[in-house]
Amino acid sequence: MTKAKNAPPKNPNPPLLKRLLAHQESGLVLVIILIMALLSLYGVLTPPIKQKTLIKLHENATIVRLDTQGNEHEFLAANKIAGYRVTLDGQTTEYSSNTIERYDSADRTLIQVRSVNRFFNKSNLVLIATNASFFAIIAVGMTGVIILAGIDLSVGSIYGLCAIVGAMVLTNLPPETGWYIAVPLALLTCMTVGTICGFANGAMSEGLSVHPFVITLGMMAILRGLTVVIPQGLFGTQSIGGFPTSFTTGFFKAEFYGVYPVLVIIMILTAIAGWFVLSKTVFGRRVFAIGGNETAAKYAGIPVKKVKILVYTITGALCGLSACIYLGYYGAAETNAGNAYELQVIAATVIGGASLMGGRGTVIGAVLGAIIIQLINNTLIIFSVDTSYNQIVMGAAIIIAVVIDQTKQRIQARRA
Amino acid sequence: MSDPTPNLIATNISKRFGITQALDDVTVSFYPGEVHALMGENGAGKSTLGKILAGLHAQNTGTVVINGRKLIPGSLDDAFHAGIRIVHQELAQCPNLSVAENLCLHDIPTKGMTVDFAEMKRRAAALVHQLDPDIDVSKPLGYLSPGRRQICQIAASLDKNPDGSMIAKVIVLDEPTSSLSISEASILMDITRDLASQGLTIIYVSHRMSEIFTCCDRVTILRDGKFVATNIVSKIDEPTLVEQMIGRRIEALKNKSDNTNQSSSQSIETQALKTQIGTADHPVDLSAEPILKVRNISSPGKLDDCNLDLHPGEVLGIGGLVGAGRSELFDAIFNIDTRAKGSVTIDNTQILGKGIRTAMAAGLGYVPEDRRIQGLFFNLGIDENILAPVMHTMANPLGIRDRATELDAVAKRINRFQIKTASLSQTTPGELSGGNQQKLLIARWMTENTKVLLLDEPTRGIDVGTKSEIYKLIRHAADDGLAILLVSSEMPELLALSDRILVMGDGQIKGQLTEDQMTQTNILTLATQEKTFAQAT
Repeated sequence: MTKAKNAPPKNPNPPLLKRLLAHQESGLVLVIILIMALLSLYGVLTPPIKQKTLIKLHENATIVRLDTQGNEHEFLAANKIAGYRVTLDGQTTEYSSNTIERYDSADRTLIQVRSVNRFFNKSNLVLIATNASFFAIIAVGMTGVIILAGIDLSVGSIYGLCAIVGAMVLTNLPPETGWYIAVPLALLTCMTVGTICGFANGAMSEGLSVHPFVITLGMMAILRGLTVVIPQGLFGTQSIGGFPTSFTTGFFKAEFYGVYPVLVIIMILTAIAGWFVLSKTVFGRRVFAIGGNETAAKYAGIPVKKVKILVYTITGALCGLSACIYLGYYGAAETNAGNAYELQVIAATVIGGASLMGGRGTVIGAVLGAIIIQLINNTLIIFSVDTSYNQIVMGAAIIIAVVIDQTKQRIQARRA
Repeated sequence: MSDPTPNLIATNISKRFGITQALDDVTVSFYPGEVHALMGENGAGKSTLGKILAGLHAQNTGTVVINGRKLIPGSLDDAFHAGIRIVHQELAQCPNLSVAENLCLHDIPTKGMTVDFAEMKRRAAALVHQLDPDIDVSKPLGYLSPGRRQICQIAASLDKNPDGSMIAKVIVLDEPTSSLSISEASILMDITRDLASQGLTIIYVSHRMSEIFTCCDRVTILRDGKFVATNIVSKIDEPTLVEQMIGRRIEALKNKSDNTNQSSSQSIETQALKTQIGTADHPVDLSAEPILKVRNISSPGKLDDCNLDLHPGEVLGIGGLVGAGRSELFDAIFNIDTRAKGSVTIDNTQILGKGIRTAMAAGLGYVPEDRRIQGLFFNLGIDENILAPVMHTMANPLGIRDRATELDAVAKRINRFQIKTASLSQTTPGELSGGNQQKLLIARWMTENTKVLLLDEPTRGIDVGTKSEIYKLIRHAADDGLAILLVSSEMPELLALSDRILVMGDGQIKGQLTEDQMTQTNILTLATQEKTFAQAT
């Protein structure tokens, strides 16, 4: 700290590390690394968990059993097998019996079992990111809303309605429908519903000059009501399922290397798009200008109302996108989908450094905030703490994050 | 009328705000039973003196003594207990609470654990009904007219001792009539006289000449924070007061035709400024087609039928006192005020009521009065602050910014306007000096696309060096053909920069002064005129 004080304040090319640390998101990354390191360490100190993977052999592949000397055998007693050699098109792969439990000759499948760190393993990490994706995508839009010094409490309900309407469309498709029809159709349906709801939020709060807190609070209740009433009226159920498999396991829950990464990829792409819009487009800078000083924005000829309505509309559309990937991942929609999501989304945004006073916030921060929230959830699961404690820890995390962030701001302001 | 001994004496009061010397060694005495006016131009220090007497500000040097007791500087509490009350507009009232609650806010009567509303109403009624028996104290304060709200504020100062004598000894009224109609103002002046006759000292801060002659006994004139004179109102005339406020022997308005040598009628300060800035390259052609025409523009409660013409290359000054409606006129022209009616054309294209962006597209620029509230984005860099109105014109059709073009444009403007900043995009306006902040806003609007520029107090609160830079920028821009409307409360600045001056008051344009009539006296005389009611007659 003292070093920084003595350094010349306007060094045009500070070292890379210092530049990285100066970034708003650096603190979040540090927190994430710290939590991950602690959990990995805990994983090392406690007995590992066993993870089973099935390795399906190619139909042209040949498999032989190896003994301890490395000789190939067509058959071998189970206790003498030291490994397996698989040959496909002249290429061989060897598996040690340390990791292979057995070979299922009927299914031509190698059953691999590995002991893994209970936190730091591929599927757990992807699961955390996947669970974060649902509300991280919405948090991208919420960042814009909060930079405007606005708020959107209806995101959870918009998400629920989009999911139900999307599910109603998908469940009426023939089961053999291709992904190239099911996916665009579901995206279009969900995002249209979301766009309409978001536009309604923005247009009402701007057109009627009512604070968005009130409008979106009302919308939260109205849309949740619709989400329950519509499926009950039409189907008499609380949940709608039965989608084409091309939409679920064929696309959104497609498996790669034993994990389901599609949602995480969509989340990352959304975050990059959000970052691009907020920092590289005129529209994005107008959002910051309005949040920083709405009066000045008006005097500078910025179309304040249009920009605000558009931000709420985009947030609604992102709720639709999130609802669509939810349908694809879980293969069904429940009427309580997205219940209390507004809290998680706002928490992610705020932990990510956005100021509720407006004018400040980053999309990357919001996504990292969402990941931190999921990490905290995961921590509690790994330590086998009752999930009821989740809320207590989460609430504390929000308060601590904001207090730390504001203290940092105050110190910076004092120095400047 | 006045007792021989003064009850309130302010001795050698000096007060500084930053670089501004608001009051400089001022000594005034006040007597019981008199209405004593404090008068002066904008920034003369009259309000500051009132606030120091009431303990709202602490003086840097000097003492305030009431009935032989020295007051603690800047202690509202001490002044309150000594019987000094202040009524002024910035003191918050709560419009959502009832009159009674507002009056008893410092000491709400209770009955057990609950508020004793009956007692509260009784107390409030006792105070308010001394002045106006028709006020319903259970109504929310916000429902009352501005005049009655003012009366309630005064009433709050009229609490009595058990023996029925007034606790307050001195009441400071700070611009009490500035938001009132004529009839309300006259009621207020009656109340003021009545209170003085009960032995209170009323300190009446105002710049309205007619009120001084209607209700004051003595008047103390301040100029640039210095004491000029204390006069007995009945023994002085208006021209003498104006002369004291401005500080030089000048002819009264009625003798203005005698001003053969116009330069002699301008103060030395103005002339010095003129030499420094330089005069226009060529005289403005007033017979040419005006670029900006404002016709019959009115806005409820703000503007009343204003007209003006502005020619290319002309600097048209707008003089007037605080609250005259000058900024409101600019807001109406720029379409910020959406309730304005009338006509505003630039190059014969109608812009009024068509939105800010139409006004901008027609070539209008506006540097508003308060740069912190209306101008700057403190969360954005210098580049984005300068380019805010035009950033979309530099982007590709998808709205993606072209940083190279942006930075090039910003660098040019920073260079032209000599804005001292460490970095184009990393520095935020909060790190700049006030002068550089102001230059930033002028750089935002003084562009090649701007044909008409509205400048509202372009040099408020900035250092002398930057002021003179801004004067030269204004002069050069006008010489290059830019039409400028200039509002300024600094007389020398207004006189030195303007080719013509319009004087505003009460939302109306009170008159026009051509170059040979432009003097501080003429501006003040027009500005302090009574409201006129063209429609009524």
